[in-house]
Amino acid sequence: MAMRQTPLTCSGHTRPVVDLAFSGVTPYGYFLISACKDGKPMLRQGDTGDWIGTFLGHKGAVWGATLNKDATKAATAAADFTAKVWDAVSGDELITLAHKHIVKSVDFTQDSNYLLTGGQDKLLRIYDLSKPEAEPDVVSGHTSGIKKALWSSDDKQILSADDKTVRLWDRSTMTEVKALNVAMSVSSMEYVPEGQILVITYGKTIAFHSAETLEQIKSFEAPATINSASLHPEKECLVAGGEDFKLYKYDYNTGEELESYKGHFGPIHCVRFSPDGELYASGSEDGTLRLWQTTVGKTYGLWKCVVPEEENAEAAKARTTLPGTAEEEIEEVASENSDSVYSSTPEVKA
Amino acid sequence: MANVREANTPPTGPMAVPVSVLRLPRGPDGSGRGFGPSTQRPRRDPPPEVTEATRAIQRARAALRRRFLLCLVAARGQRVTFVLCQRVRVNAVLGAAWVPGGTEGGGSDGGAAVAFQVDALQTPLGVQKAALLRGGDVVAFGFQVGGK
Repeated sequence: MAMRQTPLTCSGHTRPVVDLAFSGVTPYGYFLISACKDGKPMLRQGDTGDWIGTFLGHKGAVWGATLNKDATKAATAAADFTAKVWDAVSGDELITLAHKHIVKSVDFTQDSNYLLTGGQDKLLRIYDLSKPEAEPDVVSGHTSGIKKALWSSDDKQILSADDKTVRLWDRSTMTEVKALNVAMSVSSMEYVPEGQILVITYGKTIAFHSAETLEQIKSFEAPATINSASLHPEKECLVAGGEDFKLYKYDYNTGEELESYKGHFGPIHCVRFSPDGELYASGSEDGTLRLWQTTVGKTYGLWKCVVPEEENAEAAKARTTLPGTAEEEIEEVASENSDSVYSSTPEVKA
Repeated sequence: MANVREANTPPTGPMAVPVSVLRLPRGPDGSGRGFGPSTQRPRRDPPPEVTEATRAIQRARAALRRRFLLCLVAARGQRVTFVLCQRVRVNAVLGAAWVPGGTEGGGSDGGAAVAFQVDALQTPLGVQKAALLRGGDVVAFGFQVGGK
């Protein structure tokens, strides 16, 4: 069924947004980082899209960006031949890792101790972040530039994609375990730990493979060339976007197209579900990120579902002033608003 | 609340209830870098030690906040004189004040009034039937107790 939806448009970038990633759920909510050809990756509050800060330092287009699980560190991959690690709370640059060519992809291990990079030099590099000056472990074997590199199987394996292959590597032996040849140029790859599912897109195809064996589980065909897809954390549905500027939502079990939305003014380069599955974010050639509701009509984040007959009641409530002067009402006001020297523990937002 | 509509695929089935957007996501400020105090996450420092001194501060702050809220209750419906920045004085009838609780107002100044809703605001340009005064612009306000 076609529906209407009001996305939240996050402006700020001045060039195409080419990659985005969410953190895990933290006591302060969850966060979103976007990579942009303007060289200035941005950090945002994940459920509202509110800008928090911009990581300044790269001297070229930023092709990849990621956050560690608790959103205390960020990593970026750029055309200036460096990957950088950042303090995601202060925005400070922590480490610069020089490469020999454009870096396209970065990924933290779950403990944030190691960083995986991949890029145009066709090499995977594993950096020990406690010893950034040390030479990284290098994994070779790709025959074309690496587009995406991800840790998998509890960081015991690595999944990497170049133009026409997806490869699985064993971390301890640094050797290739399996390779998958893809019919067309791979446009995106996502690893879903729960269920060990690999989501890859190429041409108009959205394909799901086992991350352990690389065997195909299922695939769907979209109406247009797809650049990115993401599987819902509960695996109920998936979203995809690409060259026709539209976002598509499919039922993961049946492949039925559930919803589609226009909104971007350029091709969509990246799309990802939030860690709680309540929304998904898309990044586009038009320079914007948009946040979309998974369940349209739900009150969440900046979205508020308003039933028409309740609007008048809401407006009347907004005009309510302070209680009258009865002593018990004054006591009520004072007790409800009693101050505290210490902030209460922030609620988990997502 | 703002109603923002986007051009989407035309509906072919029952129309879903439109969802309002409370506000747009905040964009970058002029600083360019951000990560400033207003966007900072609370640091994960260990909680401060609770001592008799801190308890006394807590009690004093609670008492002051209670007096401030009582003052607002008493001022409701009264003609109030607001002293604004640059010594500008305006008179109005106080309607309501938005005083967030706890950390809702942000930062350590969680007890400050964010805004005052007033009626019959007298300004050099004329009388405004209803207006919103930003809390940050108000230096002080005063009114006659018991008078209308």
